[in-house]
Amino acid sequence: MRPPTTPAGPAGLTLLAVTAIAGIILAVHGWSGRHSGLAPGALGTTASPASATAGPASPARTAAPAGHASTDRRAGSRSAASPAPAGSSPAAGPGPLLSAQPYASYAFRVWPGTPNAAARAALTGLTVKVRRQGSGITVTASVSGQPAPAPRFYSGGARVYIVEASLGDDSGNSDYSLGDDGLIVTDAQGRIVQ
Amino acid sequence: MSISRKPPPARRAAAPAAPAPAAATPAGRAGELAAAWAPTAGRVLLGLVLAWFGYHELVQPGLWTGYVPLVASGSALAAVAVLAHGWLLLVLAVALICGIATRVAAAAAVVLLAEIVISLIAVGGLSDLTMRDVGVLGLAVCLTGRHPQRLVLRR
Repeated sequence: MRPPTTPAGPAGLTLLAVTAIAGIILAVHGWSGRHSGLAPGALGTTASPASATAGPASPARTAAPAGHASTDRRAGSRSAASPAPAGSSPAAGPGPLLSAQPYASYAFRVWPGTPNAAARAALTGLTVKVRRQGSGITVTASVSGQPAPAPRFYSGGARVYIVEASLGDDSGNSDYSLGDDGLIVTDAQGRIVQ
Repeated sequence: MSISRKPPPARRAAAPAAPAPAAATPAGRAGELAAAWAPTAGRVLLGLVLAWFGYHELVQPGLWTGYVPLVASGSALAAVAVLAHGWLLLVLAVALICGIATRVAAAAAVVLLAEIVISLIAVGGLSDLTMRDVGVLGLAVCLTGRHPQRLVLRR
């Protein structure tokens, strides 16, 4: 019987051991930062729902493409998306420029106007509804097929973006991972509304 | 007395029956080259795939917890599962890239990839993602066989 083509010698086993240790170090790093690095308003985080202000009954515009309106987002048992970062307040002022954020290249405008192809792809499995209300907008972001949370008011909000770091987790009408999804509202100058 | 340059009759009869050397033709040389290096290329490329996913699962587990079946993606259990999965992928990747116990590593990769394919099918049915992983699974299956491997760490 022929021996295995590539036996594991001492050097190989040592290399695997070093790799295993390096993997543990990376895992500790990943564990400690598992909730960081996402865009504010990340849809996949466990951030507690922010206080929401119910908007008045007014004509609504939905940013979700028709084909996605009844999709089944398969991101598991997450109940609903949080459209805003935890602890944010509707009364808070504008924040930094979206264009200055590291995730700016992954942000796709979904409102106002008709979402382009990239934005429609980023919206896969999500439903985003936007209403004008006085000097701001109310936004409802939810996982398609799941109950929508209460709409959230953004004072001075003028644009709504969906952040999708990787489209590789989108397949058909499903998004397998909400961890890289987020929702951003900016004012007319492009500053993030907190 | 006449001198003939033609080979003897016996040789003339045998010549057409003898198969031409495979390497005599470009296709034959390409085939020999592929036979010698294709298993190595497949092994290294599969290792790179596993390394990429393993590294990213380790450093950003939150992006991958949605793939964990039967567990809430925001839970700590899902993050731990992703980290363990990423760690195993990274170790298997190094084993494959460096040629350390390649058949064992490939067999472990087969188990991992089969689990991924089955869970994807169970959660979302057949999709482009699933079929892409089926192809990678097929590559891993191929590498579990005996093949001449080059660029291996034998010591």
